[in-house]
Amino acid sequence: MGNRRVRGLLLALAVVFLVVAVVAGCAPKTPAPAPTTPAQPPAPPPPPKPKVLTIASGTDIERLDPHLSTASPTFSVLSHIFETLFFMSPTGEVKPELAETFKVEPEGNVYTITLRKGVKFSDGTPFDSHAVKVNLERVLNVENKAAYRSLINTVTDIRIIDSHTIQLVTERPFGPMLSHLSHSGLAIISPKALAEGPDYLARNPVGTGPFVLKEWKQGESVTLAKRADYWRTPAALDEVVFKVVKEDGARLIEVESGTSDIAVRVPPSEVERLQKNPNLVIDRTVGLRTIYVYFNVTKPPFDDVRVRQAFNYAVDKDAIVNHLLLGAARVSDAPIAPAVFGYAQQTAYKRNVEKAKALLQEAGYGSGLKVTFHHPTGRYVQDARIADAIRAQLAEVGVTLELVTMEWPLYLEAIRKPLAENQVSMALLGWGCVTMDADYALYDLFHSAQWAPSFNLGFYKNERVDRLLHDARNTADTTKRLAYYREAQQLLWADAPWLFLHSEVQLTALRKDVKGFMVHPTERLMAHSADK
Amino acid sequence: MLRYLSKSLLFVLPTIIGVSFVIFSAVRLIPGDPAAAIAGEHATPALVAQIRKDMGLDQPLFTQYFRFMAGAVRGDLGRSPRTGLPVSEEILRRLPRTLTLATASLVLATVLGVLAGIVSASRPYSFFDNASMVAALVGVSMPVFWLGLMLMMLFAILIPRWLGLGAPLLPPTGAGSWKHLVMPAVTLAANSMAIIARMTRSSMLEVIRLDYIRTARAKGLAERAVVYRHALKNALIPVITVLGLQFGTLMGGAVLTETVFAWPGLGRLLVDSISYRDYPMVQGVVLVVATGFILANLAVDVIYALIDPRIRYH
Repeated sequence: MGNRRVRGLLLALAVVFLVVAVVAGCAPKTPAPAPTTPAQPPAPPPPPKPKVLTIASGTDIERLDPHLSTASPTFSVLSHIFETLFFMSPTGEVKPELAETFKVEPEGNVYTITLRKGVKFSDGTPFDSHAVKVNLERVLNVENKAAYRSLINTVTDIRIIDSHTIQLVTERPFGPMLSHLSHSGLAIISPKALAEGPDYLARNPVGTGPFVLKEWKQGESVTLAKRADYWRTPAALDEVVFKVVKEDGARLIEVESGTSDIAVRVPPSEVERLQKNPNLVIDRTVGLRTIYVYFNVTKPPFDDVRVRQAFNYAVDKDAIVNHLLLGAARVSDAPIAPAVFGYAQQTAYKRNVEKAKALLQEAGYGSGLKVTFHHPTGRYVQDARIADAIRAQLAEVGVTLELVTMEWPLYLEAIRKPLAENQVSMALLGWGCVTMDADYALYDLFHSAQWAPSFNLGFYKNERVDRLLHDARNTADTTKRLAYYREAQQLLWADAPWLFLHSEVQLTALRKDVKGFMVHPTERLMAHSADK
Repeated sequence: MLRYLSKSLLFVLPTIIGVSFVIFSAVRLIPGDPAAAIAGEHATPALVAQIRKDMGLDQPLFTQYFRFMAGAVRGDLGRSPRTGLPVSEEILRRLPRTLTLATASLVLATVLGVLAGIVSASRPYSFFDNASMVAALVGVSMPVFWLGLMLMMLFAILIPRWLGLGAPLLPPTGAGSWKHLVMPAVTLAANSMAIIARMTRSSMLEVIRLDYIRTARAKGLAERAVVYRHALKNALIPVITVLGLQFGTLMGGAVLTETVFAWPGLGRLLVDSISYRDYPMVQGVVLVVATGFILANLAVDVIYALIDPRIRYH
């Protein structure tokens, strides 16, 4: 009996080990070395080691279909596979990519675009007018749920003139058209792949770019392989690997140990230490995301411009940038970041406690003011701590802020309620002007046609600003557009519908031997012309 | 034995069905609109409405549940609205990873934990006993991410530097080879090992004081036979209970370890899916983890019966 029990126990242990063995067998194996045979001919010289660039990225891609994607980590990867008609340079200039030239016809609402000849998708399909038309039509069809449909929803007609010339017709002249066409959410997919339907596209990204997808292991890594038949000079790298490493510390160990070549989102507190490492270089790129607190200007106390200005004077933006963000941000001097087309520098509101108090006194809040302040946590760098700093600094001018901290999805839902149900007085938010054209930020955030549930969440309305933003959007004349945006930003700055804070800076750690790698202000990591 | 086994099995199915309904409703209680989370922060209201319709969220709850169960029975857990890929495919890709990590760390934790517990109990308050129980206390209280990062720094940066190696001794993150498994398994095992060691020790100490052990000693049995043949088997019952629970926890609860080491397992998939409000993925993962938990408990019941005949006959 005793023996039988022991046997039972052994059996149980054996089962556990069997499971281990089976499971270990499921894991990918490295092939066993082949047995050596004695009479082998002399081996040919080993082929050169493939050049692989590994990027430790903080976030996995959402999907492989650019039209349905929303976030910059996805576009970082997909922009190596897909290309757009135009390319937005890091300094905000629109350059042709798959397009060769463009012309605005005299009537102002017709854009004639000639396309590059001799370009092929990675499945061999030629790139032509038909390809552009089916792509834009797919994005425009509401049922397809394209995330960036709104970028081109002014397009009413797409005409094929010949195999490599296409015309886009809009309702009215549309100023930001070319910058919008440079957005990765409007990348051009092979028409043959499109015809296969969404299930095929969810697995098979087919574009014209310098790389093709080798493998996507969800939550783990995306591996891209070089295309030898790329229409420009093929990439110097054989493979680019985007490895998902969420934990900040682990990402740094990756790049410090040389396991990865690049690590994104370096915590500002680590910059000083990493700069001492002779093998690393830190790249600082001012991003397009502006962080701000908007006020609900339809309700007291923020219906009074003096209160809004007082808040701007009461908060020390320099202290937030230097102490909470350790310098990894830039104090806002306009509602948009400097790389954005249309940016017009204003004079930042410097901290002035006396002035803030005086303004509050004038507005009738000299004896104090109590306001609730909504903010997300974990969405933007140090968001909750920034909110707390704002609370502490406003306390000095007699304002009591009651913080309401919320998790992101819930937060977005709460702040995007229409006016009648909206309970928010002031809230912290960020906006990345990803098209790098002022229209995408100013029109969406300040025009009165965009009140919540769209993105003018503070219900700001200024007829002059409305007019300027409308005109700037409805002309193709660049000089005029710049003038409109300059005036609009001056008005907004004085009107202070926001508590202007800062733009985030992206910190990226690169191994010294990496060359030609680009961190784009749109947060895209571009290994297109990188080498090591 | 057969009757005992079939009785245990009989409870499994209703439990799984019950669990599935709880999961399904609980997922829908998570605040936040999944369609809005998937559409992205710059989405228009029209886009959000279209996604909601496609996810079937405009249907009554029961319709949604029956659709989910009808699929689940056929092995189809739906499609992730975020990636557009089948949920079951993704879970199947990650399950072996999670099982590998959970099993490796559990084997490590059991072997070392039980050994430490036995040795401690057979020489209570000796130096070894005190040392191993302090170590266990450290193991229980040490934050996983800290231990993970320290191991990583040691094996990927410091030791290679001291030895003048060009490459890390162990790859800091990722999965694929046994080398990738070492650090996450040790990190994950630390906590369970400590719990198992303490459990084994106290359970052994209790059993060793019983009359039958005194009898065994009195009839002149060797100490080794007393401890391993007589005491250990009775002392193991609570340890096995803990083991079963630990295995279930390790299946779904290795989130921190998985995050630190970028180990692509189910725990991280679950957390990521919750933050994106990816309902089908959350449901799928929880269902699989819960089933794993139930099966681990079934295994524990069976092992009880194998070790202790009294359980079998009642």
